[in-house]
Amino acid sequence: MQASGGGAGGAEDRDDQQSSRIPACQSGSGSAEGEAVRRAPQGRGGPGRGRAVMEAAVARPQGEQAPGGVGSAGDVAPLAVRPRRGEVVLTLRVPFQSPLEADMARRSLLPDAQRHQGLIRKEFAVNGSDLLVRWTADDLAFIRLSMNPFLDQLSLVIRNIRSLGLPPRQSRS
Amino acid sequence: MPAVLGFEGSANKIGVGVVRDGKVLANPRRTYVTPPGTGFLPGDTARHHRAVILDLLQEALTEAGLTSEDIDCIAYTKGPGMGAPLVSVAVVARTVAQLWNKPLLGVNHCIGHIEMGRLITGATNPTVLYVSGGNTQVIAYSEHRYRIFGETIDIAVGNCLDRFARVLKISNDPSPGYNIEQMAKRGKKLVELPYTVKGMDVSFSGILSFIEETVFAMLVEITERAMAHCGSQEALIVGGVGCNVRLQEMMETMCQERGARLFATDERFCIDNGAMIAQAGWEMFQAGHRTPLSESGITQRYRTDEVEVTWRD
Repeated sequence: MQASGGGAGGAEDRDDQQSSRIPACQSGSGSAEGEAVRRAPQGRGGPGRGRAVMEAAVARPQGEQAPGGVGSAGDVAPLAVRPRRGEVVLTLRVPFQSPLEADMARRSLLPDAQRHQGLIRKEFAVNGSDLLVRWTADDLAFIRLSMNPFLDQLSLVIRNIRSLGLPPRQSRS
Repeated sequence: MPAVLGFEGSANKIGVGVVRDGKVLANPRRTYVTPPGTGFLPGDTARHHRAVILDLLQEALTEAGLTSEDIDCIAYTKGPGMGAPLVSVAVVARTVAQLWNKPLLGVNHCIGHIEMGRLITGATNPTVLYVSGGNTQVIAYSEHRYRIFGETIDIAVGNCLDRFARVLKISNDPSPGYNIEQMAKRGKKLVELPYTVKGMDVSFSGILSFIEETVFAMLVEITERAMAHCGSQEALIVGGVGCNVRLQEMMETMCQERGARLFATDERFCIDNGAMIAQAGWEMFQAGHRTPLSESGITQRYRTDEVEVTWRD
């Protein structure tokens, strides 16, 4: 599992189709690696610095070949809600063996995800073989409260898939 | 001959059961027991369940002598119960259903108890006394609903007993209620007030006898009232507290006075278990119920009368 900087979740710039997804990976040297949380930019029409962060996030996916590939046309629908000013966003990328497994995990975890949606927003997507989970909240503390039990449930789903395995005809591709 | 796999983990018991055409093929279960003086908390309970559930699944299949191909439906407890434990079990049910490509069924925990009680005892249309750590209801079936005739207005009777055990630091192994019962059997003095002091010593068994006599008499009264209202000739006790022999005796006395018959199950089935979820799931599956993944979220509050009981006349 890898936590990637999803703060520029401002990648909801409507002008760019591709950037309306969670950035799949922010690889390469520098800023995003190891950085779990970034503050969302200060509004769309904000002054130079805010716009630059957003643009950087927009530009990067186009320039890179992220491992596993940036999403293809067959992906699950993009995440449409942009974070408000001052909100904290954390994105988790969980690589699976195949898109099928990633989507299976998503469908097992999603139905109970809405239980505490007052304080935090939790969104799921599948990008290639990666499960992407994004938390948005006013306060990092809320995200931590949600994330800890979520990681336990996710771990159980992963163990479950490993212990039972996919039947031969549903093999990894 | 459909075979249904059932997952249950809404409180501190985690169970996986297999039922096929009225036969329980497997029903392994584990209980999360906390030290005396403590109760079980949702996060710790969920952790316990997550640690053992996959092993229990294998045990159930092995005991039943079945493989995934022999299973026709995956049933799980949708609610009511504690949130984190319910979720831990539900995610496994959903994953298994997807891996094996089988339909999913969310089952009401209380109805699981009722359907297992009916299966095991053969009672045709009983008034049901459902008593456990989490629930206390008197239920009667009418026109495709399990109607709640009476219930606790605050805490469940088992909760009352558990909390009492906690105060006295009575062991939770195998369950606080069981240990209360054993101690109460040795009580010789029934007292009106729960305050017994003998010189420098104190006596607690009298208090426990008092607790049992009083709370159980309350339950007998409301059950009798429901039976009178429905003109019922059968009573069925389900739920963990139903294991209590004193409660069964008191209910039996009341039933005999009314010329009615009392039914009860043993600890395998009155305590939460996976097979009861499988059995209710079997009835629902045969009747055509299905739970789409998108609607399979758990719910901590799930009333017994919310379910349309299409499998009974």
